[in-house]
Amino acid sequence: MVDQNIILLGYIVPLAFGAYLLTPASSSVASSMPTLHSKRRRLMAGLNLTLLIGFIVSVHTLWISNKISEGAAVCSTATVFSCDDVLGNTQYNTDPVFGISWGLLGMLAFGLLLFFANSVSKEPDALWARRYMQFGMVLTAGGMGVIALLVSYEVRMEKICQFCTTAHAANIIGLFGFWRAGKMMDAGEWNDKEAKEASKSGGGRS
Amino acid sequence: MLNDTEADVRTDAAIKIAAMFFIAIMFLAVTTDPIATGTQVNERAPALEGMMYNGSGWSSFNMQDYITSNWTSEDRVSPWLLVDFMDTDCPYCYRATGTVYDDSMYFMKYSNTHPAYPGIAPWDGPVVNFVGSATELDIPDHETSRDEIKAFRDKSGSEMCNQGNSACDARDGGVHRFPYIDDIDQDNMKAWKVSGTPQYYLVQPDGIVAWRSIDSNGETVADAILRLAGGQP
Repeated sequence: MVDQNIILLGYIVPLAFGAYLLTPASSSVASSMPTLHSKRRRLMAGLNLTLLIGFIVSVHTLWISNKISEGAAVCSTATVFSCDDVLGNTQYNTDPVFGISWGLLGMLAFGLLLFFANSVSKEPDALWARRYMQFGMVLTAGGMGVIALLVSYEVRMEKICQFCTTAHAANIIGLFGFWRAGKMMDAGEWNDKEAKEASKSGGGRS
Repeated sequence: MLNDTEADVRTDAAIKIAAMFFIAIMFLAVTTDPIATGTQVNERAPALEGMMYNGSGWSSFNMQDYITSNWTSEDRVSPWLLVDFMDTDCPYCYRATGTVYDDSMYFMKYSNTHPAYPGIAPWDGPVVNFVGSATELDIPDHETSRDEIKAFRDKSGSEMCNQGNSACDARDGGVHRFPYIDDIDQDNMKAWKVSGTPQYYLVQPDGIVAWRSIDSNGETVADAILRLAGGQP
């Protein structure tokens, strides 16, 4: 079986790129990627990429949970980074209310967030766009509580699940993205066309 | 579709996300065969942990330490586990101590004979490790303590068991040579959804519940082990 940490790297690199697109520093990619010429487009691309990685990592986490329940060892190590020990711990590997696997819960949450982000990407000037960004922010902010709970489990177990941590990072980056989108809307920087024209005239923000 | 001015991108996005979700679920369904956690037969046993008394002192117990995750049914060496949920003040548990002693001595291979099976050959199947999970039922006169658990296991001290009606050291059978977990807070009992005591669970080396007394139709622990654990008595 392929080393799980190599697969994990395949998630971390695009996640880092997604996070980069959410920052003002991403303006440097505008020249090499014309489709990302505006701040809004870069933000939405970064947000969609981040949430997609969050979704895929959640699927992977659920896959590992299922494999462990079969009795397989997927990413068991003697070090502190051992997702087998975390995801295989039946006391903590499901949510305390419904008993749903954390991976499935992550899939549902990131699926919903992707729906918000994807819809707004396609129709950024829709009347519901601002509301969807707010929903996304509330959901990812709520996710912070879940992350705190899961980290407390990891502290208790003295083990860290690196896949879970990547999904947590995707949620935190997503929260930043939704917050930044709201800020851009408030600051009147949401209009793609205006930004493009301003950019052409040489005085606009990118 | 080209003329459908009412079309909403949200429908398009929802279909895409649903398709992605469907593909993910299909991938999981094809590549994995998860086993549910629970205490029904063929389910993965929940966690069983706590402080245990093994005759010399209290130390931590975790059932995970007893699990052989890559066990197969052909493996006749990896040890099985018999979990005995009991209460030192439960009259039924008190009366069962002799049988529990005989079973544990035979299947843990401390004894070559079993009083209930005259003429039986020494157990040649895998060792079946017994572990008691001593709880305190929410019933009057069932107050217990670590000292009482210790007295129950060791047949020692002046503690009173069986709802305070009998001395712990007067119970049937010899000293139980297996650990007793302090489950006075009922954590394990609740996790295993144990409704009353005594209740016995036979757990395969890979942590899957193979048998439980509550739906055994009168089959004893020893009969179940002889039938399931692959010995040739």
